[in-house]
Amino acid sequence: MKKLLSLLLALCMVFALAACGSESTPAETEGAEPPAESTEPVSEEPVEAELTIMMSFPQFMDQWETYCRQFEAKMLEEENIDLTINLEMPSSGDYESVLQTRLTGDDAPDLFTLHSNNIQTYYEAGHLTDLTNEELAGKIYPDVAAMVTYNDMLLGVPIESQAWGPLYNKAIFEECGLEVPNTLDELRNVVEVLEANGYTPFMLAFQEQWVPQLMTALTLGGKVSGEVPDWVDRMNAGEGSYSEMEEIFDVIDLIMQHGTDRAMETGAEAGAAAFANGEAAMFVQGTWASGTIMSTNPDMQLGVFALPVNNNEDCTKINLSVSTTLAVHPSSDQMDLALKFANYVLDDEDSSALFESCSFNPLATCHTYEPASWVADANVYVTEGRSYKDLVLPSAVTDEQGRLLQEYYVGSVTKDDIITRLDEVYAQAIAG
Amino acid sequence: MGGSRRANLRLLLFCAPALIVYFVFKLIPAVSGIGYAMTDWNGLSQDYSFVLFDNFIAVFSDTYFWRSVWFTLKYVAVMVVVANVIALLLAVAIESRRRAKGVYRTIFYMPNMISMVIGGYMWMFIFTQVLYYMADNWGLTFLDHSWIGDPHYSFIAIIIVASWSTVGYLMIIYMAALQGVPADLLEAAQLAGANSRQCFFRVTLPMILPAVTICIFWTLNSGFQVFDVIYALTGGGPGRATQSVAMNIYEEAFRGNIRYGYATAKSTILFVIVMVITLIQLKVMKSREAEL
Repeated sequence: MKKLLSLLLALCMVFALAACGSESTPAETEGAEPPAESTEPVSEEPVEAELTIMMSFPQFMDQWETYCRQFEAKMLEEENIDLTINLEMPSSGDYESVLQTRLTGDDAPDLFTLHSNNIQTYYEAGHLTDLTNEELAGKIYPDVAAMVTYNDMLLGVPIESQAWGPLYNKAIFEECGLEVPNTLDELRNVVEVLEANGYTPFMLAFQEQWVPQLMTALTLGGKVSGEVPDWVDRMNAGEGSYSEMEEIFDVIDLIMQHGTDRAMETGAEAGAAAFANGEAAMFVQGTWASGTIMSTNPDMQLGVFALPVNNNEDCTKINLSVSTTLAVHPSSDQMDLALKFANYVLDDEDSSALFESCSFNPLATCHTYEPASWVADANVYVTEGRSYKDLVLPSAVTDEQGRLLQEYYVGSVTKDDIITRLDEVYAQAIAG
Repeated sequence: MGGSRRANLRLLLFCAPALIVYFVFKLIPAVSGIGYAMTDWNGLSQDYSFVLFDNFIAVFSDTYFWRSVWFTLKYVAVMVVVANVIALLLAVAIESRRRAKGVYRTIFYMPNMISMVIGGYMWMFIFTQVLYYMADNWGLTFLDHSWIGDPHYSFIAIIIVASWSTVGYLMIIYMAALQGVPADLLEAAQLAGANSRQCFFRVTLPMILPAVTICIFWTLNSGFQVFDVIYALTGGGPGRATQSVAMNIYEEAFRGNIRYGYATAKSTILFVIVMVITLIQLKVMKSREAEL
């Protein structure tokens, strides 16, 4: 009898929980009214509302938390809305799968970040709102806006734009009397001099496949923009081949042969920390690693250079891309607030401080801060016209490049295997 | 009549919570998954078309998938032996102690209570930092291997971590079975002049065969679905050298080409493989048990 009782109790609790679940839904929808009520006198009780935002950079959690709190305060003051923002930041490795699950499960966040390369796919799947007529549209620099525009519609607020190349330790370069290399021969010379002075030239951190992948991003980008501008188009038409790009292995071999040991045991963060402590002079990573590097060693003199692919200086360029973009989901039941938040990201008064604290590059007219030294380094290349737009390859191919480079490093595949395999994966990706 | 019906109903009620959860979260997705396996859905768009058996046909020429199947088979084979042998040894060792049984039982069971992902990251730290520290500073050079980067050693690393976390669970099952072995049987065997090894292999082991069946069934089943240890430890790398079937399916569904339908087809095939193997195993083991 006792058991039956406890079972009944358990059942009761289950139903009670279920009841709670269903009650919360009307509570949320009530929040949809505030825009209409906002014109009423402020003496009214503030209207409650909720916004869910998903972002893919947990390393900037603090900065965005603060920014969300600022927005909440602003809404309470200006619109008399007692807004609660749920800011979710899954780790960047899992972000896409979490986001996809939420989008397909009809549980879309009101705002979410995505990579600008995926804008077309997400738009066609009906997950993006057109922001062309919002106030923010006029503020974004045209070059940057072009990267988040599809079919003449501005579909996202660019947040992270990068002008990036390998990082180097300026202090070590200065000590050895070295200049930034512009050709592959100069890079070989740099490696030689560094080794003669007892420094390890390259930091290798290959545990996560996206880090070795950066070598292909930079070398393919340089080679394609300098010598074979139609390569990606031909690849997408099924008429190109990675064998045209064989040259990129010259510099990849150079990096792998003159790097730190135990590369497969070093993660991206550990690598950045070791690099900051001077264990190597160069690190094929992007400026996004600057956070870890500068917090490990605040005195680090961090620089950025363009990775040479061959001896043609036209191929030695900086990669320019927009990665993280903030989008508004069309099914948001708080559309008005969601759009307000999107506009607030490029707010005239507060945006600069946010972008500066995350050391993002300035990308709109409202950004008036002095960029960090490494950002300035990269911007020199950009102003000299020595930059190219990040290549957009199918993500299966990008993934495969990273994995194959890991295998190449441990010696289980050869250069020719990689070329054959990448051609196969590319063919599959454009067919699917 | 009425009494037994009521008893049945009551039993069913007791099972209901578990059954409902199983039905809603396991059975329905599994069955509807077979439907998705026949589509080209990409997990994102709202419409998709039926491609019938195209996905299943494509799986047969997918070298990475079969390589991951081969890796998983190796993993399962090694795990079934290693984990069960160690668990049985531990169980016997602890059962033969007179004092402090509870302490040892708790200590060896503890890793099982830690989430495998956390355990995996802990071990990753050990393999990538602690072992190197020991190798560099204490001269233990036999530890200086590429534990994550060399497929050969990373397989050993995975087995170590996986056994570390599963052995405790199996040990508990074996201990319970050992306690059920009647003392008079063992005594009789001893009186008949059997030494301790004979006692174990001729009396104890046959008596605990049902537990062996359960444990092997469990290791087989969980071995085929292995994901979290490898994900946390090597991420399937270098390249795909330590990729299990579950990881291959995850990658197909959520990374790269995002071919959801195709990934579901793969998991249906995995399901069939696991089912066939466990059915054979149960049949073989059950017939053995019946003999005794």
